[in-house]
Amino acid sequence: MDFSFLRGYYVYFFTGTANTVILALFTVFLGVIIGTFIALMKISRNKVLSFIATAYVEFIRGTPLMVQLFIIYYGIPLPVPDVTILGMDMSRFIPGVMALSINSGAYVAEIIRAGIQAIDRGQMEAARSLGLTHSMAMRYIILPQALRNILPALGNEFVVVIKESSIVSIVGIADLMFNTNVVRGALYKPMEPLMVAALIYFILTFTLSKLLGKAERRMRSDD
Amino acid sequence: MIEVRGLHKHFGKLHVLKGIDASIQKGEVVVVIGPSGSGKSTFLRCLNLLEQPTEGEIIFEGINITSKENNINLYRQKMGMVFQQFNLFPHLTVMGNITLAPMKLKNLSKEEAEEKALNLLRRIGLEDKATSYPSQLSGGQKQRIAIVRALAMSPDVMLFDEPTSALDPEMVGEVLDVMKELADDGMTMVVVTHEMGFAREVGSRVLFMDDGKILEEAKPAELFNNPKHPRTKEFLAKVL
Repeated sequence: MDFSFLRGYYVYFFTGTANTVILALFTVFLGVIIGTFIALMKISRNKVLSFIATAYVEFIRGTPLMVQLFIIYYGIPLPVPDVTILGMDMSRFIPGVMALSINSGAYVAEIIRAGIQAIDRGQMEAARSLGLTHSMAMRYIILPQALRNILPALGNEFVVVIKESSIVSIVGIADLMFNTNVVRGALYKPMEPLMVAALIYFILTFTLSKLLGKAERRMRSDD
Repeated sequence: MIEVRGLHKHFGKLHVLKGIDASIQKGEVVVVIGPSGSGKSTFLRCLNLLEQPTEGEIIFEGINITSKENNINLYRQKMGMVFQQFNLFPHLTVMGNITLAPMKLKNLSKEEAEEKALNLLRRIGLEDKATSYPSQLSGGQKQRIAIVRALAMSPDVMLFDEPTSALDPEMVGEVLDVMKELADDGMTMVVVTHEMGFAREVGSRVLFMDDGKILEEAKPAELFNNPKHPRTKEFLAKVL
């Protein structure tokens, strides 16, 4: 094993990691917005909305992320600007983030729905028996409690997105995986660059889950 | 104060309430007894429409609350309810539990709501628990707080759904004492319970329910000492 190549190529890993983190942040942010809407649609009493939301979740979870990415990147001609921001080609980055967040949104929707439905029925009944409307009960009683179930699971989703985002390298987004392949090709050495990439991914996800665990414990001790 | 006319409730194919007529007068303590599965909790939960009746009418203070035109949220403010499982809000302090509804629905200021809450807490001797969370309280304390939470809306009637059934035996007394005090103050109450002692001592009228119907109703002394219906006799023989 010889890691001396890092002296010349560390920049590739550095920018790749930065891009992966940026990609994941955008994905989680948009995924949460999409997921919230889908979850609310799914639990709504409107049958049409609930059907659309269910179909969305089932379709996204039942098809590979790579197929979804290709459909959006190759299948749908998006009017994205051909500009480069922070070293990333927007015509690739935007479809990449879209595919990832549409995918993540389905999983987030299930996290949020489960978080809301895990709250005991008695909570809604007690709130309504006092005369609160359904939406007041949701806002003051159900959602604050659901948030405690949702936040830790959302953190895990962030970890998943960091790992799954590596797939966008196949449409040429310069994330950690893509740049690792660049280094691998330049060196004609597969093992060492891949090990570096694996280590970086691991450090990212491991640190994140440790931080989340800490935040979760602190939240628990609040009650 | 409450008139129930021809009340039926189906849960899918299950016919739980099979035609109930009842009336509750102001200041009365009506105790509903009967075997489990007789529909007594469902009957109580229909009174404030936590269960939507399949058929029949509930008239509360002269208003047909089963009619879609009337906003049930307004009438629920006047009907306090206490649940078997307490259902305190675990993310709020005792004070938060009690003041939420008065502040949101009656536009009381925080100070007014808290002052009222403290007065109520003092009556049940739990003013030192105002800043505690429900998880830090015993079952009996939780249920007394739940009663106070309902009282904070100054309801005209209080509905109790087996308020002592989830309690350890040594805590039943403290909850019944609070309910008794409430009855002595003239509160109109409908109580579903298995506490025959309470029914006998505090009740102004006892309803015996079985299989979705009210089979017998009478003053407690009469119903307990001289039951008429064979099912009532059988039931009382088992529980007394």
